[in-house]
Order: sequence, then structure tokens, then C-alpha cells
Amino acid sequence: MHIDVYGSTLCALVTAGTLASTGHQVTLRVPEGDVAGQLERNECPFREPGLPELLSEQRAAKRLKVGRLVDAPATPVSTVFLALELDDVELAHDIVARLADLKRQFWLLVNQSSFPVGTTDKLQQTLGDVGAVVSLPDLLQEGVAVQSFMRPPQLLLGSNDPYAESLVREILRPVSRLRDQFLVMTPKQAEFSKFAVMGMLATRVSFMNDMASLADALEVDIEPVRQAVGADPRIGQAYLYPGCGFGGPSLSRNVMDLASTLASSGVGSELLDQVLRINERQKEVMFRKLWRHYHTRLEGKVVAIWGAAFKPGTGRIDNAPVLRLLEALWAQEVTVRVHDPQALPVLHQHYGTRDDLVLCEDAYDAARDADALILVTEWKQYWNPDLVRLKTLMRAPVLLDGRNIYDPQFVRRHGFAYYGVGR
Amino acid sequence: MIWDNLQQHADTLRGRHLADLFADDPLRFHSLHRQVGPLLFDFSKQRLTTETLALLAEFADARDLRGWIDRLFAGEKVNGTENRAAMHWALRARAEGHIPEPVAGLFGEVADQLQRMERIVNKLHAGQWRGVTGEVITDVVNIGVGGSDLGPLMVSRALEDYQVSTAQPLNLHFVSSMDGSQLSHLLRMLRPQNTLFIISSKSFTTVDTLYNANTARSWLRDALGRDPAVVDCHFLGVSASDTKMAEWGIHEDNRLRFWEWVGGRFSVWSAIGLPVALSIGMGAFRDFLAGGHFMDTHFRNAAWLDNVPVLMALTGLWNTNLLGISAQAILPYDARLKYLPSYLEQLEMESNGKSVTRDGEPVDYSTSPVIWGEVGPNAQHAFYQLLHQGTQVVTCDFIVPAMRYHETDRAQVTGTLSGQHELALANCLAQSRLLALGEAALPQREQMPFYKRYKGNQPSSTLMLDELTPFGLGALLAAYEHKVFTQAVLWQINPFDQWGVELGKKIALETLSLIHSREDSDDISEQMLATRSAALRDSMDGSTVGLLDFIKQQRRGF
Repeated sequence: MHIDVYGSTLCALVTAGTLASTGHQVTLRVPEGDVAGQLERNECPFREPGLPELLSEQRAAKRLKVGRLVDAPATPVSTVFLALELDDVELAHDIVARLADLKRQFWLLVNQSSFPVGTTDKLQQTLGDVGAVVSLPDLLQEGVAVQSFMRPPQLLLGSNDPYAESLVREILRPVSRLRDQFLVMTPKQAEFSKFAVMGMLATRVSFMNDMASLADALEVDIEPVRQAVGADPRIGQAYLYPGCGFGGPSLSRNVMDLASTLASSGVGSELLDQVLRINERQKEVMFRKLWRHYHTRLEGKVVAIWGAAFKPGTGRIDNAPVLRLLEALWAQEVTVRVHDPQALPVLHQHYGTRDDLVLCEDAYDAARDADALILVTEWKQYWNPDLVRLKTLMRAPVLLDGRNIYDPQFVRRHGFAYYGVGR
Repeated sequence: MIWDNLQQHADTLRGRHLADLFADDPLRFHSLHRQVGPLLFDFSKQRLTTETLALLAEFADARDLRGWIDRLFAGEKVNGTENRAAMHWALRARAEGHIPEPVAGLFGEVADQLQRMERIVNKLHAGQWRGVTGEVITDVVNIGVGGSDLGPLMVSRALEDYQVSTAQPLNLHFVSSMDGSQLSHLLRMLRPQNTLFIISSKSFTTVDTLYNANTARSWLRDALGRDPAVVDCHFLGVSASDTKMAEWGIHEDNRLRFWEWVGGRFSVWSAIGLPVALSIGMGAFRDFLAGGHFMDTHFRNAAWLDNVPVLMALTGLWNTNLLGISAQAILPYDARLKYLPSYLEQLEMESNGKSVTRDGEPVDYSTSPVIWGEVGPNAQHAFYQLLHQGTQVVTCDFIVPAMRYHETDRAQVTGTLSGQHELALANCLAQSRLLALGEAALPQREQMPFYKRYKGNQPSSTLMLDELTPFGLGALLAAYEHKVFTQAVLWQINPFDQWGVELGKKIALETLSLIHSREDSDDISEQMLATRSAALRDSMDGSTVGLLDFIKQQRRGF
């Protein structure tokens, strides 16, 4: 089939690449900007495992082309995926209105963007009766996005039109082979389901963080508690890790949007408000421990940070805990030395050049002369550091483990002061 | 001579009803109002004429008002009994402003403190002021009394529409009462980890404030421990005495200073205004200062009869000393100005409630009238009955902004709210009109039974701002300050001291020792104390002894 994919989001690129890899003829239409430039230079804008290879293979095979968002689709194209940024609702309506003016037998529009609940129905109104707009919410997990698109645990499809539904099933047939992965419902239900999934995940994380604060106060190690809770089959292990807050464009933005959608519709969600509040507080948990360790006097200290990306496997820092942490440290006149395998360029882009931010290409270099080391993102390479070397490099051996990945006893035996989340 | 002329003139006017004055001269408003910057001053409802003004201006000259204004702005020691200058105006002057610097370095010192204030404000706004546990401060409690309370309380309430949005919510609270009732109520609602206290006291010896501050400190220590960092992280001090702040334990970085030459009731323009800046941000706080400076410049330069503060003062003098009116009501028709009456009560009565001239002679004329007030629409349901039909003559200041609620961002309720403002405006105009004209305000004068009649002839001024902005409020407050100063010049008294509030504080301490003491103690030193107390008790008047005995009786039960 000939398919156009609109957008410059990770979802847009993964969708375009994957659809091409299953034999579709795909044109990826990106708005002008950084992503467009990078694609033009054959670079991959996201540091997402498997994505660069996927895109370059498909482009080499001529199944994937990159085009301009403003140009009209070629004649054989009557299927369009919309994977735009959260704020681009207006743009989506523009695109749909332009498509509606082009003559086709039947337009199939698949909306993957995380727009407010109800947007797909509104897009249908814009399109009119020349086709159908369905909702296929993006449930990609960054870091395993390509894999999760190829082998989705389930596919939420919101469609009011049986013919449109059959078309989507046909397009995605290669990724839905083992069993029927489709959960079909109305577009509004599908959109809301995505928000609810995000809300639930965030709630689990914040719940665990709340338990961790309590564990701190009671001087209990949260780690065995987490394992015990996760071992209960009614609960399960996923999203139970206490840490210094969740971030990312998807989880936190979606939960925030959900909370504000509920608030503006007059319902309000006290639970989600609290979930977000706990998360914001949690982003500073390592700062608070450092503050107390140094008896409120942090001026002039040097702090090393390992990991800035909002999670391992990505180079993005949207809503990442490191941002709050950096600002808190800078406000106390602390110099911060940061290492991250992928996020340093974005960090530099975000804050520019400043004296109190040193970006280090080498993790151990970041720890040089530091009064404390804070682990923020649990990249695999940080899991077994050379503690002896660290101790000689650092001015004071203080290790703050924002993800509870180290064994406190082991670290302490090496002469470090150790602080975890809830331990 | 001038005084005799004024008295003769007053005799001719005394019998004239305001309704007649308006009937004689329908254009009174044109000659009897002034507009300066954001402020319109309408005194056409005062019982005077342009002729009166000319005579009063002569009187101002005779009292050397020009000389006194020059001395005020030259930084001379116009506060004789305390041997100090009164340079609150310098708090809002800027190096590039219109007033020359009386002492080299003065404006620089002021700018330095503003800079320190700005740093603190920005840190709190950014959500980066940390308590001892590292948590963000979300609640700030201002502990102060008198000028250190009323000024910031009044101004932050008045400018609440200008509240800035901060990274995290930042709530402001005010505590002043020495009995601790405000504080104990507040402490039940706050978390020690997130609470910062501002201790504001010019001398840093004010008992009311220090008792509250000590209670706050104990509350924090109970929750957070006795580490000195608790006080370092949770207390700011604002005072003219750096030493006293240090002795109490305020960390050096957390001390904001002002100067001996700022009277407490003139101090909201200094670091005492910190809560205001926390509420509206430094930018708007500087606009507030600029409004004050604007009025300073006007006051220095304008001829008496174009000079709003001088005209306010002359009108007041006319009412007090020539028409014999000894009461004045402050009636803002805007509930944001809720605390303005209390603020002006202090400003006027603490400044001009004096009966000795600068030369130490007793005065043989009235000085400050009794001043009180309330938000106008609420007062209409309280004491307006007395204004309309009582036996007292009262002069009123009606204070109201012409515009409100025209912001577009709150579109939904703006419509009905601006309707409410229109209603308040209408009430303001109607009440001042009825007070002035009485039944003459009615279209057809029906014959009413006595109990329904309105005699009218109550004089009033209306101070109308274009809008209640930081600049406008600054100008309004500075106008009242200069009115007070001008009246003090006319009355030949010193408006900048307040000896009348000292002795009471002192004998309260003695009395406290009597309430404290326990006669039945076994401890020797306590017994000696008790003997001394007994002597002290016997030296007191019968009423006090009776009351003390009653207190003791009540306590014995416990």
C-alpha cells in the first residue's frame, strides 16, 4: 500500500520505518525544523536502538522516502498516519482539511498523536464524509520502540467504521500475526485508554516513591519491600521501582495532560494531582539528601551526575529529573559535572554554555574532584563502577544512588557514604 | 493676622450648606479638583471656596512650608526629639530620579538593600529557598507589628491582583498580635519543613514581635531539632539594627537592613516591604516605589494650590481648626483596600496626635482628628447611620479606582465582576453626594417625617485612582504621607516621633512581673522576687490591684 506518515515524533519515524520494512511504500512528511534537516543529511534524529539502521535500510531499499509536510500526497496514497507533537492539534486539522480537498475513493486517516481525548472525532468532522479518521494511540516504550511496534502486546484501535477497521487490520497484518492483537473500541475510548494506562503507570511509580519516603523515615530498606510487593501476582513487578522521579515526553506530559483535562472538565483527579506532586518532589530527593549530608551548606561544592536522559536507552531529557536537580544545585552555587552516553548534546542545547555546567565525555572524568556523585539515570555502564578509582578521584566519597542500583553494604565497605531512595 | 482672616472667612461660610454652595456655583468641581498622574483629588464637596484656598495658601507660607519641605528633602534633622532626619522619600528616590542626593552614598545604600531583597525574592520565587531538610519553602510568615505589619499587609492585599505566579505556590501570612492567637492558629496549618519566617522590627527589640518570633523558633526546633541550621534556613530578619538581628541568631546572609531615618509607619518602602515584593515581584515593587517618587517630586515642585498633598492638608486644617470637625472617616470603595483605614489611622494619628510644638510649648489648638474607617460598602451597614443622621460632624475621604476587572484573561467572570465594581462606584458617588447635599439630593423634596430626614452638609473628599496599580497606590500613599507632614508643619509639631507609645510598653513589663510571680514558691530567689512584687503591687492604683487580684484568683484554680 502507499502510505504517508505525517510528523517528526519518534512514533512517526518508527511507524514509517516499520511499515516500509513490511513492504509498504511510505512517504514520511516532516515539518520544517531540526528533524527535517537531520533526515536530509541521512542522520537519525533519535538515539533509539535499531531505528537508525531501520531507516537507512528502508531508504536504501527505496520503500521509504522523506518529503515535505506542505506537499500533497502522491495520487496512489489514500492512507495517512498522523503522529504529530502533542501541541499540534491545529496543524492536524489543517492537514486533514487539505487532504479532504483531494479526490480519493476513501481516505483512511490513522491518528497516533497524543492529542486531548475527543480530538479524533473532531478530526473526523474536519474530514467530512470522504473517509474515516481512526485512533491508534502510540503506546511505544522509548528504548524498545522499534521492537514494541513490531511485536505489540496489544493494539488499541478506536474506530467507528468497519471498513476503516478492516483497512487498518490489513496494513498492520504483519505485526499482528500470533493472535488477534487488536482491541477495537470507539476513538474516544481508545484515546482515553491511553491516558488511563499512563496514569496507572505513573501512579504505581509515585506510590512506590511514597513508600520509599516512609521507608527513609522508618529506617527500612525499601528494596526487599519492593520485591515482596512485586512478587504478589495481583501486583506484578513492572513500574514499581522507587527512584528520583519519572520523566520523558510521554509519561509525564500525558499524565499532566490527563490531570488538566480532568480538571478543566470539572471532574478533577485528586489522585493524579498527588501522583504528579509526589513525582515533582521526588525529582529533588537526591538533592535533599545531599543538602542534609553537607548540613545545608553547598556553596562552592562540585557535584558529579551520572545519567541525564530521562531513562536509559534514549538521549532525551524532556521533563527529566536531572533538570530539576541541576536547577536546585545551581541555585546553591554548586558546579555540576555531568556524564551521559547520549544526552550531553541535548543538555548543552538546553542550557547553553555556563560555568557551573561541565559536560564530560568520560564517566570517571565527571567524578574528578567531586564532593558527591549522584546517579540519576541507570545506564548499564554505571552498574559496576570501579569504586576504588572513584574514591581516589573524588574530593569526598559520597554516592547518591537515585535508582537504587547499588548494594549499599558493598559501596559503604569501599569507604563511601551511601544514600539511596528509601534506603 | 492671616489666622484672623481665616476665622472671619470661616464665620461667613459656617452657615452655608454644601447644597447652597453647589447651587451657587455649579462649576465648583472644575475649580475644586486636581489631577496628578494616576490620582484625581476632588475636594469640591468640602465646605470651602476658592477664596478659602487663597487664605489657606497664605497661611502655609506663613508657617514656612516651603522651608520645611526643603529641609525634609535636604536630609536635615526634621525629627528634633530623636535628632534624626526623616528620609523615607529616599527609599523610593533613584540616583537618576528628580531629587538630589542629600548625603553622598545614600541612594547607593538603598539600592544595595533592594538588590539583596531582589536576590531573596528571586530565590523564593524560583522555588529554590530551602528549609533545613532541603524541602522548598512554600509558606512565608511575616512577624511584625505596627508599621512592620500594617504596611506590608495593606499593600500586598491592595495589590493582590498583581500577584506573580511562582515555580511552586508561595503563600504569605501575617502575624502581629502579641497574645499569640494569630500565630497559634497559623502554626496548626503549616509544615515546619516548608515555612520561612520574616522577623520585621526596626529596633529588633519590639516585645510583641520577639515573643512571636520565639514561639516560631520553638515550634521549628521541636519539629526539626536544635541544629543552628534550623534558624539559618527558616528565618529572615529586617531591621535597622544589624547587631540585634545577629544577637537573636539571624544568619548574616538573611539580614535585610534599613535605617534609623525611616520611621516605622513610613517603612513599607524599605525592606519591610519584603512580603509585598514576594507577592507582586520586584518589578511591580519598583513600580510601587516609582509611584511614591512621582508624588515626592510633585510635592516638592507644585505650587500650593496645585499640590495635592498640600491641598489635602489645607482641607484637613480647615475642617479641624476652622470648622471644628474632630472626626474623619477613611472609606475605600474597593475591598482590596481593606487595611488602608488601619494603615492611615497609624500614619495620621501616630504622626500628628501631638500636643506640644517643636519648641516644646503646649499647643492651644486641635491637631490630628480621630480617624477611623472601613471598606465603604461594609461601613454602609455599620456606622453610616451616624454619618447621615447622627449629631457628630464627620469629614470623609472616599477612595476608589475608576476601573477594575478589564483584564481579558478571566473573560468568563469578568462581566459580572465588573458589574460589581460599577455597583461599588455608584454607591461611592451616591453616598458622598447624599452626605453633602442631604435631602437636596432628592429630585423632588417631599416633606418627610423627622426620622426620615437627611440633614446633609457632611464634607468629604474623593480620591479617585485611574486603576489600583502598584504605581497608583505608591502615589496615593506618598500623598497621605506628605499631607501628614504638611499638617505637622502647619500645627508646628513633630510628626516623626511617637513618645506617647513608649511609657505604656515600659509599665507593662512591670505589670507582667506581677502576673508572672508566684508567692507560694519555696525557692529563695523567687521569694525575694515576691517581696519586691508585693511592694510594686502596693504602689499601684486600686483598679489595677483589683484586676490583678481577679487574675490571681482565676489562676489559683489550676
